[in-house]
Amino acid sequence: MKLLWAVSALLLCCWRADASTAPNIITDPVEVINQTTAILSCNLTESSLPIKGSQWLHNGKVIESSKSTDSAPFTVLRLDKITYSSSGQYECVFLTEPEVKQTIEVKTLPHVAAYKHSEHGNEKDKGVMVCVSHGYPLPTDWTWFKEEDGASTPIINGTSDKYEIKSTPNKTILTINDLSIENDIGDYMCSGTNELGTASDKIHLRVRSRLAALWPFLGIVAEVIILVTIIFIYEKRRKPDEVNDDDDSGSAPLKSNSNANHKDKNVRQRNSN
Amino acid sequence: MSPAAATNLGYTPPDGGWGWAVVFASFISIGFSYAFPKSLTIYFKEIQEYFSVSYSQIAWVSSVMLASMYAGGPVSSILVNRYGSRPVVMVGGVMVSAAMVLASFGTTIVHLYLCIGVIGGLGLAFNLQPALTIIGTYFQVKRPLANGLAMAGSPVLLFTLAPLNQFLFDSFGWRGSFLILGSIVLNCCVAGSLMRPVNKHAPKTAPSKCNGAATEEAAAAEASAPSDNLLTEENQKESKGQSCVQRFIDPTLFRHRGFLIYLIGNVVMFFGFFAPVVFLAPYAKHLGIDEYSAAFLLSIFALVDMFVRPATGLIGNTKWIRPRIQYFFSFAVSYNGVCHLLCPLASGYWGLVAYAVFFGVAFGMVCALLFEVLMDLVGAHRFSSAVGLVTIIECAPVLLGPPMSGALVDIFGEYKYLYYACGVLMLVPGIFFFIMNYYNYKKLDEEQRQREAVDMRTCEEAVQLKMSQDDKTAHETDG
Repeated sequence: MKLLWAVSALLLCCWRADASTAPNIITDPVEVINQTTAILSCNLTESSLPIKGSQWLHNGKVIESSKSTDSAPFTVLRLDKITYSSSGQYECVFLTEPEVKQTIEVKTLPHVAAYKHSEHGNEKDKGVMVCVSHGYPLPTDWTWFKEEDGASTPIINGTSDKYEIKSTPNKTILTINDLSIENDIGDYMCSGTNELGTASDKIHLRVRSRLAALWPFLGIVAEVIILVTIIFIYEKRRKPDEVNDDDDSGSAPLKSNSNANHKDKNVRQRNSN
Repeated sequence: MSPAAATNLGYTPPDGGWGWAVVFASFISIGFSYAFPKSLTIYFKEIQEYFSVSYSQIAWVSSVMLASMYAGGPVSSILVNRYGSRPVVMVGGVMVSAAMVLASFGTTIVHLYLCIGVIGGLGLAFNLQPALTIIGTYFQVKRPLANGLAMAGSPVLLFTLAPLNQFLFDSFGWRGSFLILGSIVLNCCVAGSLMRPVNKHAPKTAPSKCNGAATEEAAAAEASAPSDNLLTEENQKESKGQSCVQRFIDPTLFRHRGFLIYLIGNVVMFFGFFAPVVFLAPYAKHLGIDEYSAAFLLSIFALVDMFVRPATGLIGNTKWIRPRIQYFFSFAVSYNGVCHLLCPLASGYWGLVAYAVFFGVAFGMVCALLFEVLMDLVGAHRFSSAVGLVTIIECAPVLLGPPMSGALVDIFGEYKYLYYACGVLMLVPGIFFFIMNYYNYKKLDEEQRQREAVDMRTCEEAVQLKMSQDDKTAHETDG
């Protein structure tokens, strides 16, 4: 009995000792929600371990300019302009044995952007529209709307074969099957929602007629046929002339062409006279 | 003129007149052959997404097309030997056009391999060989210039096709673009129709062989007649022996000294020839230059290339260079090698711009002279067989060069080893060409001197024969 008391008292002391010497980082603020600037600070308390330095990580990557060899138990990171690219998980790390770190989450509204703002599709073929999102946290919900006469009608996945929506947190793809020129041309809106709010972007869909490319094709083929015909006709017309020239120059073995032939003859006649 | 096998054509090439129309036609044919496969890469990203295939699978389309184009060389040569340039180019144009039209209806990636890759590549081969061959039949004195102008078709058409393809893609999508490209390529048929077979009945204006034999024209004509007969007999014997083989392809080329030198040097050279072009933009991006400036480097390179090719042709035509044009080619190849070896020293964007300019000059010089020196070595008669054999043997280095260089970059993680390797792969053939061509020229000069000595002897014998006959008839009339 006494032994049991002694052991439990020892364990309690050890636990309390652990608790009292466990390093604790106090972060300020705990979370950044939808702010344009912020100053993140970490305060290391209740630690007797030597501090060799500190640094900050953004989404797992070290921020080079935040590296410091200062042994102060206090470190600060300024974020001057918070956009979707600077949102994410920030960790302050104190270089002790072992390292201690704490995370501060910087959250912003989602940033939704369309791959291409103008998409083309062929009639009766399929049209694909893609929206991507960056930032933290990524949207949990994606919705697509078709804008008709000023009103946005939501497109619901699975109601018909025509529309298919595939979504992942950072990308959403809307596929429209069997495009028709009358019904499917127009603006489509993709909207992504996360815990802070919603953002959206617009894509304009154009449907090409199947025969759109046929006219230039026929035009150029016609041009080629005309040119080839002209060239061959020109050649056939010249050929009889060339054959005559050949006979003329063939008859005077050492002269190269009929003109020179006549010239030389004239010269000879003048000389003989 | 070089003492190489140049003057046994049997007729005088026009060196002008309709020849310039033929140069224009070759310009178009050669341009399509080289620029078309490269310009198709603009569609690859879209097609890759449409068929849901990987990047390497879509890159195969380009490789199959290039392989077909080079492997189809001998087939093309055989057809040109048999039927002449014009029908082959027209058939080639129709083939590529049909290939593109079929490809526009394709439903799987294998369709594209077969249509664009195999049929299209073969059609382009039918365009390339005849275009090169016909220049040799129309030009002799101005041949380097004609070759330079015709080879300039490649950069000019690439420059035109690249933005045109982008425009077509934006307006019509890839299927519509393939259809329209099929009709654009049909213009090769127009080029083919311009390639009128050369008029071989124009009389020889070559000076008679026995220059100092007699003063009167008649005597000279008669004195040269026996020696001419001797020559034509020799020609007939040669042509009989060659006609059976030349109907197909000329394997005796493998015993031709100049051809072997050219072949060996080229095979080594092509390993390192195209890789720097392929990796110029990635190297620039690796150094931290943005995408548009990196693409602009390629435009500078193409622009310089465009002007250097005809200029090289012009220089190659001058009376100082033409007789020793092989040395000019060796210099161009070595200069390429030196350029690549010095490239890693270029730092920053302006360093790379300077490299692009020098490389453009080097590349243009080699391309302009590439087929001219082959024509110079083997003569216009055997050129079509020669070029067919050369392209099929070059197929391997051309296809393996860029992937091997890519592997170098992957292994070392740095581009400078790629440039050192390419530099060495071009400098070594350059020096090889210099040495072997010096030896070749010496041998050819010796053979020329021997031939001239033989000619002089036969002329003298013929003149003596004539004079003794005249004496006999004079004695008979007197007596």
